[in-house]
Amino acid sequence: MDDPLIVVTLLLVAAAATAAVAVRDPVRQALVLSVLGLCLAVLFTVLQAPDVGLSQLAVGSALTPLLLMLAVRRVGRRAKGTTGTTGTTGTGDGEREKAR
Amino acid sequence: MNGWTTTATVALAGGLGATLWGAATGPLHRRAVAQNLASAVTAPALLLLAQGYGRPAYVDLALVLALLGPVGTLVFARLLAGELADGGQSPGGRGPTLAVAAYGALVVVVLCAVTGPSRAMVKLLVVGVLLVAGNLIASKALSGGFGTAGASAGKNAGQERESNGRG
Repeated sequence: MDDPLIVVTLLLVAAAATAAVAVRDPVRQALVLSVLGLCLAVLFTVLQAPDVGLSQLAVGSALTPLLLMLAVRRVGRRAKGTTGTTGTTGTGDGEREKAR
Repeated sequence: MNGWTTTATVALAGGLGATLWGAATGPLHRRAVAQNLASAVTAPALLLLAQGYGRPAYVDLALVLALLGPVGTLVFARLLAGELADGGQSPGGRGPTLAVAAYGALVVVVLCAVTGPSRAMVKLLVVGVLLVAGNLIASKALSGGFGTAGASAGKNAGQERESNGRG
């Protein structure tokens, strides 16, 4: 009876998951991933599983992006530290590459 | 399908689709704004779904989202402060942010009118206040309205406290 709603949310989840894979930069992936978490929470609610949606919201909207961003930060800092010993120009290029 | 779920379907297809497109393409600042708007669009839709299914317990989902959505955006605003400041100071997204906030307020007011004075209405009002205030605070933090949190600034909690104090 709620077919259009289920179809719309399923399409949204498929589009968000595809976008999360297609985006290559981890920082931008974290942004798309939090939108994917929202889509999944709505899908669980539409399928009458609000408890699953609740935990998905709690984990997906704040915790997963925080973990991802902290990991990206730490890895970036370590990479910067190792290239910084070889030369400063390489560090700048690496940063510019990462920002792209 | 009743009117509530139909409205939620249209709002989800339009709003979440647009914010998904905004989060998947474009410059970093616009992506962050779109991520903020996504949670602000989803919470009213969850309220509409709770009303449409006739299950007041589903309002908890919108409550959690209204509470945690801005927290997630503040995480991004804090950890991306440097890159957001680099990528041009365009405080874009002012119009869409206000439009989404007005949409959330409208949904909450309509649902309050339908519910009538009761404890459920108080809960709806709490959700609405959290939703609109959190959305506006998070969007202001994204556009650097609270000073782009230099490296020496405190941790997340400190910045959130500061933003709450000024907001």
